[in-house]
Amino acid sequence: MRGFLLNRLSQSLILLLIVSVIGFLVLNLLPGGPLAQFGLDPGMTQDDLERLKEQLGLNRPLLIQYLDWAWRLLQGDWGHSFRDGAPVLAVIGRHVLATLLLMGTSTAIAIAIGTWIGIRGATHRYSLFDHVATVGAMVALSIPTFWFGLVGIYIFSLQLGWLPAGNMYTIGDGSVLNYLHHLILPSIVLSLVHVAIWSRYMRTAMLDAISQDFVNTARAKGLSERRVIMKHVVGNALLPMITLAGVQLPSILTGALVTETVFTWPGMGRLFLDSLGYSDYPVVMGLLMFSAILVILGNLIADIAVAIVDPRIRLG
Amino acid sequence: MTALVANAGPSRWWRSRTVRRFTSHHLALLGVAMITLLTLACVFGPHLLPYDSLYIDLRARFSPPLTGDHYLGTDPLGRDVAARLFMAGRTSLLVAFFAMLLSTLIGTLVGVIAGYRGGWIGAALMRTVDGFLSFPSIFLLLALAAALKPSPAMVTVIVAVTSWMEVARIVEAEVRSLREREFVLAGRMLGLSGAHIMFREVLPNAVGPIIVAATLTVAHAILLEAYISFLGYGIQPPLPSWGNMLEGAQQYLDSAPWLAIIPGAAITMAVTSFNFIGDGLRDALDVRDDRV
Amino acid sequence: MTERSDTKSNYSRRDALRLMAIGGAAGLIAPNLLGKPAFAQNPPASPTGRVVVGLSQEPTVFNPLMPHIEADEAVHFSVFDALVRMDPKGVLQPNLVVEVPSQKNGGISEDGLVWRIRLRDDVRWHDGKPFTAEDVKFTLELITNPKFRAWRTAGHSLVRDIKVVSPTELTWRMEEAFAPYQSFLAETFMVPKHILEKEADPNAAAFNQAPVGTGAFKWAQRVAGDHIELVANADYAGEGPYLERLVFKYIPDMTVLYTQFKSGDIDLVDQAFITADHYAEASQLSDRVVKLEPGASVESIYLNLEKPQFKDPAVRQALYAAIDRKAILEALYYGVHKPTETFMPQNSYYYNPNLPAQEFNLERAGQILDEAGWVPGADGIRVKDGVRLSFANSTTSGNHLREQTQQFLQQTFAEIGVEMTISNLPAAVMWGDFWLKSQFESAISGVTNVIAGDPDVSNRLHTKAIVAKGGKGSNTGQYSNPEVDALLEKGARTFDREQRRAIYLRVQEIVRQDLPFLPLFAYTNVFGRKQGLEGFEANSNTRVASWHAAGWYWKD
Repeated sequence: MRGFLLNRLSQSLILLLIVSVIGFLVLNLLPGGPLAQFGLDPGMTQDDLERLKEQLGLNRPLLIQYLDWAWRLLQGDWGHSFRDGAPVLAVIGRHVLATLLLMGTSTAIAIAIGTWIGIRGATHRYSLFDHVATVGAMVALSIPTFWFGLVGIYIFSLQLGWLPAGNMYTIGDGSVLNYLHHLILPSIVLSLVHVAIWSRYMRTAMLDAISQDFVNTARAKGLSERRVIMKHVVGNALLPMITLAGVQLPSILTGALVTETVFTWPGMGRLFLDSLGYSDYPVVMGLLMFSAILVILGNLIADIAVAIVDPRIRLG
Repeated sequence: MTALVANAGPSRWWRSRTVRRFTSHHLALLGVAMITLLTLACVFGPHLLPYDSLYIDLRARFSPPLTGDHYLGTDPLGRDVAARLFMAGRTSLLVAFFAMLLSTLIGTLVGVIAGYRGGWIGAALMRTVDGFLSFPSIFLLLALAAALKPSPAMVTVIVAVTSWMEVARIVEAEVRSLREREFVLAGRMLGLSGAHIMFREVLPNAVGPIIVAATLTVAHAILLEAYISFLGYGIQPPLPSWGNMLEGAQQYLDSAPWLAIIPGAAITMAVTSFNFIGDGLRDALDVRDDRV
Repeated sequence: MTERSDTKSNYSRRDALRLMAIGGAAGLIAPNLLGKPAFAQNPPASPTGRVVVGLSQEPTVFNPLMPHIEADEAVHFSVFDALVRMDPKGVLQPNLVVEVPSQKNGGISEDGLVWRIRLRDDVRWHDGKPFTAEDVKFTLELITNPKFRAWRTAGHSLVRDIKVVSPTELTWRMEEAFAPYQSFLAETFMVPKHILEKEADPNAAAFNQAPVGTGAFKWAQRVAGDHIELVANADYAGEGPYLERLVFKYIPDMTVLYTQFKSGDIDLVDQAFITADHYAEASQLSDRVVKLEPGASVESIYLNLEKPQFKDPAVRQALYAAIDRKAILEALYYGVHKPTETFMPQNSYYYNPNLPAQEFNLERAGQILDEAGWVPGADGIRVKDGVRLSFANSTTSGNHLREQTQQFLQQTFAEIGVEMTISNLPAAVMWGDFWLKSQFESAISGVTNVIAGDPDVSNRLHTKAIVAKGGKGSNTGQYSNPEVDALLEKGARTFDREQRRAIYLRVQEIVRQDLPFLPLFAYTNVFGRKQGLEGFEANSNTRVASWHAAGWYWKD
């Protein structure tokens, strides 16, 4: 176990290194930079821009800038936002809850509905339900999320006027009901893809489990089909699903990006786009590292969870 | 050598079974039919319509669908949406197709080398794949789009550069499992070069998964192009693409909803087709794939 | 409920109002800063109610001296005070000073070098500490402190020997006479010495996240990515505030911003206002006051004059004549914006209304090019001395209305044998070195040329402001005319309003003739607010609508 963790740790550090180097290079090779937003400012002179560049340390060689950033990060200093001067972790922290709320809700929807569809599809293989679910999932995966969001807004906000077109809550009304009202449309839009993925994986995992020997053994023991399915098959099928859940963890950031943009949700996805737009390097780098750490954690959790549930797998 | 060929080379029964399986896959056939229809419409449609996709007529702006000869209405500059939709289809499908070729090429190359060589080269390559995968793809897309001048060729490259990792992973896994098979070991004993074994002996055995992944990559590439063009960083006007037709449509969602609905429907149709075909191919080629 | 206010008539109406207010005429609503006439009966006795202001950019910078964007100023104007304020007429009014320093009242010496500032004695910071001349000295010195990440330093860098004479009086010397500094002070908000002097690093001070000012509203809280809430400062020294709470809500999408105004979630639309395409619908809304207000920016096609295509004045004239401005303005911009011939805002005191009007005439455009020797080549594109009349046009990608304008222009230009390609870039790329260092061929940009209402445009039009040629400024089109240079230098040294006016009217004449850029239109902003929100006034000398929230109140 210790060997496994050490190995994982070293691999993770290498991954973080790669992500940070690529991210830093790509960001800095972009023309423009953090001062471009003042390019149209009526009174900003070239002198001012040069001075700010120096004050922000942007005129140093790229390697030095990177090493400086990395060294501080190792000491726990994520830097300060170029925009509001607040510590990067605080900036990210301010947006985490909104994203968690949205992602949590949609993931809950996706797991509940996806698991159900997957089980039913596998137990009623090639039934009408299975076919519709298969086709539905593939169509769902084919719809551009932002477009689906737009159509949702068009129908439910603009035409029917049932749901708000955006925002997390109405100012001055912080009630739970108000939050829920605002959550409905974005979380459904966001869960569409996840329901599709989840149901397909669940179905495959179920079919794999059904075909295995122990199921036949269970059947041979005279257990009822329902009992066999619920106890042996579903239990075994959920194993790979834990892996999936782990692997899906990083999508907390990426998955919400599009949806948060369309629904003006004040979460990390929009923070990312805004920061990229203003070339707020420290915040963008912070979010990239945050996302990479989620990837690592997700994979780790997935592996450990599987190992705990399934004693046949030994970590090493 | 004969043993090798028998094992590695495709033979007739394998092929015909594949065809049979594919043709009995209704969704795949539906996908082929839809995409053929769409392609034909994009190729011949613009010649059959009375309007040029670039012709601006401010007097006819925002005509709703079925106004006169404007079957799908007009856009904010009074251009015919139908003509633009088909011209856009050409751009979007071509970009997606070439992005698929390019990303499959990169992915296959990386996958084969990493899988066959293994060791630190393999590890380094696969960690790079992981690194790329742990970026929000939109970051790489936007960053590259900002750095490179957006032309159709550049958009193709950008889409390819952000979608080769899946192929690389699939190929690497496949090749790694093939590496220790008898025919490869036999090849080594016969003194064949690494490159020869990799590309002549191992790769043909991984063709199935590659084809499936490539088909799904087309679907993915259409979505990516749409997304970067939607954000304004992709294909530049006046050249239409499905994505840039959607750009700005949000603004007119209330007054001219067809501007958003029509290109989105075309994208969904094309992507669905490729996903159906990919699914059919996966069954037909007997590929086990973790992806949906 | 639409009041469509024409620029000129509005000007004279305001003029009349002002005169009457000064004359003590009762029963009229006067601009807020001009004392408290009769209308002071209307606002509530104690601050009541709440106003939610919608912004399409997120305010994130709360230290007003640090680099910021327009949206941030909505907060700055409410939380802080400056020494002076620029009123909607472009006249400086006292804010923290007792009277606006001028050469007439002795606040500025005859040679323009010595300034004497007298402050109000009844102003307190939000934490109760008195505001004194020490704070002013600290603020001005902080701006030029090399360790501090200050916003712009133009003007401030000329200030020397700041002397505090008494808690309510200070003097300084200017390195050279610089008239625009009067206006710059209107955008220089005062920060508290007693809080910031203790900070080792003013760039990372806690103050920057929870500002303390002297303004009408106090900082309450911020929900990042969503909104900022301010509460009334009951001890405010000036007029107001009449509202108990002021909320700035960030809505990144212009359509959603409008939708929320329509639905009533937002009481007032600030930066970047209601989009032109929603104007017609907005003006029909019940219980909403939707008004067209002239803005300060001018949308133009900037030509990089160092490119061989644009060196020939005939090309510039021909292109200008080939722009169907009427079609662009009426169809693409829904008739909201106004055509203009100059860079000066139309309701500025320095605006020149007597410039020759552009006329759309493709035939004439072709003729000009023919006469200048630009003849069509094999591909139909005109050529002269080996130079093809072909150029790229760039702007921010994703700006739909501009992209539509570009495509429309592309079609008309093609008709006179001119090829224009479109090459748009993301904002961060477009307005970086590409724009500042004149790497573009031609660009469409909406530029505010005046700073804080001051007509000095040296930064945009002086030869020394060409960065690509080693200058310091934003003359990105690389315009260079010795006569204009001389006039601009004179204007910056002249304090008298009338004399300055003559200078800048002449500058506009020359620039109209030279056509270094092709003006498309002067921005008119569509302001929208709920019926019953009173005391609101637009001010094109500021960049935000919320420049004077202290005077707002709900009519019951």
